[in-house]
Amino acid sequence: MGSFRAHPRTTLPFTMSPLSLIFLIIGVPAFVGLAYIFVRGSTGLRRYILTRIALTLPMVFILASLVFFVLRVIPGDPVSSALGPKGSPETVARLREQLGLNDPLILQYARFLGSVVTLDFGNSLTGAHRPIVDEMSERFPATLELVIPAAILSLVLGIFGGAFAASRRKRTTDYSLRLYSVIIYSLPIFWLGLMLQLLFGVKLGWLPIAGRIDAIAGTTLHHITNIYSVDALLTGNWTALRSVLEHLVLPTLTLGLILSGVFVRLTRINVIETLQQDYIAAARARGIRERVVIYNHALKNAMIPVITLIGLQVAILLAGAVLTETVFSWPGMGRYLVERISSRDYTAVQSVITMFALFVALISLAVDIIYSLVDPRVRY
Amino acid sequence: MALQTPTNEYEWSVELEKVGFVRRLLGARRWYGADWWLVAISAVMVLVFIILGLVPSLLAPYSPDVQVGPRFLAPGASPDLPVLVSLASSGITELGDLETSTGDPRPSVGVVRGVPTAQALNEQAQALNEQLAGTDKELRPRIVRFNSIDEALQAVADGTIAAAVVQSAEYEDLAENYPQVVEGKSVTGESAAAGGFLLGTNQIGQDVFSRLIWGTRIALLIGFSASIIALVLGVPLGLLAGFRGGKLDRLLSIIMDSLYAFPGLILAISITAVLGPSVLNVIVAIAVLYIPTYYRIVRGQTLSVKEELYVEAARSIGARSREILRKYIYPNVIPSVAIIFSVNVADAILTGAGLSFLGLGLPPNTADWGIDLARGQGFIQTAWWLITFPGIAIMLVVLAFTMMGEGLMEIFNPKLRER
Repeated sequence: MGSFRAHPRTTLPFTMSPLSLIFLIIGVPAFVGLAYIFVRGSTGLRRYILTRIALTLPMVFILASLVFFVLRVIPGDPVSSALGPKGSPETVARLREQLGLNDPLILQYARFLGSVVTLDFGNSLTGAHRPIVDEMSERFPATLELVIPAAILSLVLGIFGGAFAASRRKRTTDYSLRLYSVIIYSLPIFWLGLMLQLLFGVKLGWLPIAGRIDAIAGTTLHHITNIYSVDALLTGNWTALRSVLEHLVLPTLTLGLILSGVFVRLTRINVIETLQQDYIAAARARGIRERVVIYNHALKNAMIPVITLIGLQVAILLAGAVLTETVFSWPGMGRYLVERISSRDYTAVQSVITMFALFVALISLAVDIIYSLVDPRVRY
Repeated sequence: MALQTPTNEYEWSVELEKVGFVRRLLGARRWYGADWWLVAISAVMVLVFIILGLVPSLLAPYSPDVQVGPRFLAPGASPDLPVLVSLASSGITELGDLETSTGDPRPSVGVVRGVPTAQALNEQAQALNEQLAGTDKELRPRIVRFNSIDEALQAVADGTIAAAVVQSAEYEDLAENYPQVVEGKSVTGESAAAGGFLLGTNQIGQDVFSRLIWGTRIALLIGFSASIIALVLGVPLGLLAGFRGGKLDRLLSIIMDSLYAFPGLILAISITAVLGPSVLNVIVAIAVLYIPTYYRIVRGQTLSVKEELYVEAARSIGARSREILRKYIYPNVIPSVAIIFSVNVADAILTGAGLSFLGLGLPPNTADWGIDLARGQGFIQTAWWLITFPGIAIMLVVLAFTMMGEGLMEIFNPKLRER
């Protein structure tokens, strides 16, 4: 991944790591929104939000602890396996001391929890010994750039496919869409990626099959957020944007298609259920066209249970991202994790998994809060 | 009572409650139509895969771990063998036909420059010649080199050389230009028709088809063992939490929910990274992922069954907790566990394949679909068959188990029919 070293710094008047920039971009509006909901909302809503936040903390804590203790039962010494046969006993001992591996377990555990809170994970054990946060601020935006369009694609495909199937219930369209969702569910995501590469990359030669950007376009791109498409847009670098988008098509398609199956299924069931409600019969009786009944009246209410499931799909999305990144040599968090595991860099592995845990917890928190807004019946 | 096709949905669900397990399964065909056939087809598929997994040695044509043919042979293509070609009238079909009495003029045999047929010819001729030692015969063909296969074939056709040794694939393309020349046997003794390679060979000359069949074993082993371990741990925990409730329930639930929300593959990656590559470790890692699935289902079911009137009745006549669990709750929970199990095996197989695709799960030379895909990816430009067939195999196995689970769910749980 030589292309990630020493990229040109931005011309922005302030210096800020891309990771914190992204957190700011997402976090500030989220916080403002939350505060607004909190102030304007009913007592029940407020209590719900507080309880939900309170429940997120133990989840993060449990996952972080799990990561810590699972990685701590490694048979063998993480330091000597990271250094390999080159590491002399003195180096190993020095590094162990440096990392605090000789301290009592409880102290290490406390220190680890501290690092989760401050998001400062120390330096990577192998390779260039860079701060892990720096590496993540290159990798995390790459994952976001892949995951967000894929999620949108799968939602659009899934919701409209599902509603369409429901409107054609028990007809060929319905059966073929159901078959689609079952087959998509059974496809190994990495194989779908390989097949798309084979078709569009190798046989037809339309799209690139690896990486995020052309080498040449990459040198002209200024890195601001490290989400390349955003960076290219901000700096008005159209050649880079084109290259970035070309590289995005196949990975996004892979991840988005795989996820869409679940959403087709869910939406279909829920629309069918909603269509049996009395108010739908009333709407039909009033002579409202069937298309309007399905897409306006039914779909809206049918979406409520689907929203909760988006939270659960985040887990599948991230797991899928790991495999998609590997297939497409996409330098995101998932690939970083796999690379670090093969170089036995346990500090980095621990940090990446913790980051994933944080990410999952925050997304499911956000989804639940949105859900409670959409469906006022949900309260603790 | 006779099973008749009931007229409305309410009636048939009542009817269905009245018949036993087997009749329900068989009779269900009338009402479920397409769904029933789905279950039947997937059950047959599952059976086939189980047989493949149990006795791959009987069904696979070659051993999966050794080189059995040339490298990168496309599916259906016959391996490129050095074959002897000669005039039809000469009667020469194999190397042995070229033997002559000692002292007679040596027959000339043509080869093409830059093609490794000459070496094969030399080695085989020497070996045959040694067998002839002590007799008055010898087999020492004089090798004539040509610049192209066309020149060599022309020379054979003209009768200037007795025979030529050429690559079979190249010869097949040109055969019709030289009608008087016929293809003999391979000089190395291998025969092109020996089984062939249905799905081609990979980068080290292993048979792709045999590796696919052997891969079934590892996939099913991982799928079944991981799901069974998860079931054995998850079901009792769910029963306990649901039945006892209280602090224990809350503690277990929050742990299980956290595990459930976390991306399974990433958890499995970290566990196998810690434990190291072996089949057992993959099974353990995947089993951990699926404990929450069983826990959640069983706990939910237990909670709802616990409130039923018959449980209250049993309690009021003094049944002990253990009895209630065994007689009333357990039987009500088991059907959904069976359904989850089938879907779970499918999921575990997918996760296992993902792990080995990442190079984390299994020892590197295992005959496994994920490993084959990962190794084939490097040759995507030239050898499409290496990355195509293992993926289809994974898809079919997963599809079979998923469809079976879904179909069973519809048959056992008629109330969820529209789900």
